[in-house]
Amino acid sequence: MRQLICLLLVAGAAPAADPRVAQLAGEVVGKGWIVYSAKTPRGDWDLFLMRPDGSGRRNITNTPDYNEIGGRFSPDGKKMLYRRIPPSVKVHHDWWGRAGELVIAGADGGNPVVYGEFPWASWSPDGKQVACLTKTGIEFRDLASRQVVRTLERKGIFQQLYWSPDGRWLTATANAFGEAWTVVRMNVATGEATAIAKFQNCTPDWFPDSRNVIYSSRPAGQEDAGGAGKPGYGWTQLWMADGEGKSPSLVYGEDGRHIYGGAVSPDGKYVVFTRSLTDGNEDSAVLGLMRLSDAPTIAGESEALRKLHPKTKDGPVLSLGPGWEPHWSRGAK
Amino acid sequence: MSRACPLLLTMLVLAACGRPPANEVDSEVTSLGTVEVSAQLVEIPGAFPANDLYNYAYVLKYRVLQVHRGQVAEREILVGQYNPLKPRAAAQDDGSGKVGGRLDAFRAGEVHRMALDAPLDQFWMGGIIDKYFEQKGVRYWAVWTNPGTK
Repeated sequence: MRQLICLLLVAGAAPAADPRVAQLAGEVVGKGWIVYSAKTPRGDWDLFLMRPDGSGRRNITNTPDYNEIGGRFSPDGKKMLYRRIPPSVKVHHDWWGRAGELVIAGADGGNPVVYGEFPWASWSPDGKQVACLTKTGIEFRDLASRQVVRTLERKGIFQQLYWSPDGRWLTATANAFGEAWTVVRMNVATGEATAIAKFQNCTPDWFPDSRNVIYSSRPAGQEDAGGAGKPGYGWTQLWMADGEGKSPSLVYGEDGRHIYGGAVSPDGKYVVFTRSLTDGNEDSAVLGLMRLSDAPTIAGESEALRKLHPKTKDGPVLSLGPGWEPHWSRGAK
Repeated sequence: MSRACPLLLTMLVLAACGRPPANEVDSEVTSLGTVEVSAQLVEIPGAFPANDLYNYAYVLKYRVLQVHRGQVAEREILVGQYNPLKPRAAAQDDGSGKVGGRLDAFRAGEVHRMALDAPLDQFWMGGIIDKYFEQKGVRYWAVWTNPGTK
């Protein structure tokens, strides 16, 4: 009996806190702010701000009549753009960027101004324009006049369009080179598009140096590990590569979670991302944050993934609670 | 039975043979899109993708048998069918725009009567499975697809 009681006590005990996680939290607490979407107790999606360690969390939209998603700080950190979606339109994990309307507000969510459709709007480096993705092409729109100032063929790009910090490139998810989920880089001057990662990739975003891209990838040929529920489906992992698609490398993976929405810190040293229990399920997603110097990191047992990547650093990961589509700014307040 | 009955029956059968079946021609296939063709589905170049999480357009190769409306110069055309696992009548959704028809399922060798638009990219901004990606040329977008006849 005594043995059983001891066993129950051990089994029920909270796992010892990893001191490396507390150290990571202390490291990032002063490094700006993270904006993300999350469901409120009312069931709608609002935008939230928090410090990168999860402190100072607050709802900055509080709009039961709308869902808000896709917050992106302007390059100077003074403003924020996001989508405002009426409740009659489903907040889809992939299509949110073309749903509802573009809103531009202060970096704290104040003084929101509705701009209209502006699908997949992404900031220019000077914050005076946005690149938008429409069926008929990529449109560069001047925010003051709201007019289209230039267009490019979209070359199969269909979602998640992001303009590089140096203004020279776009990255996005495309039908290209025979694959529906190819992460591409497009030259803003010429419109030429090249593949960064073919086959089952999405949610690309830029590193601050505009040379590297972080993206999600569900590689082919994964063992059925962790209960993906579909034979051969596998799990989505966070990867990075340079703009030419060279040197792809695993950043973070975890059998049992699909990893999406990687957003690199302004100093290029950390990344925040989402972890979903099932593919495309934004409702089950929680945010995680890690050092890029700890890449590749694999969490949990993840036997199948560890076989493919035997040399991992397994650094600490800060769990930041429920959230989707995070973005990180140095300057926001 | 009068002597006239077999004659009448024969006439009716002959008349029916010269007419398309009731589900081939409707107001949609004769009016939607910019092109209307009868075309034979040459092949299905691989398994249709699952549609439980994502809906795709799947590019199929057709041999054009007759152009009813508009202009099609090619003998073979590539046509994007939206969510081909579904009967055409159930294919339309929030993201697809207007898509429909009376065809229940896609089978290689069968003839379809289709209202088409082009290019595909102008009508569908989402995943496209195109096994013919190395072939240059127009990709059509199937707005309406009915069973057809040769």
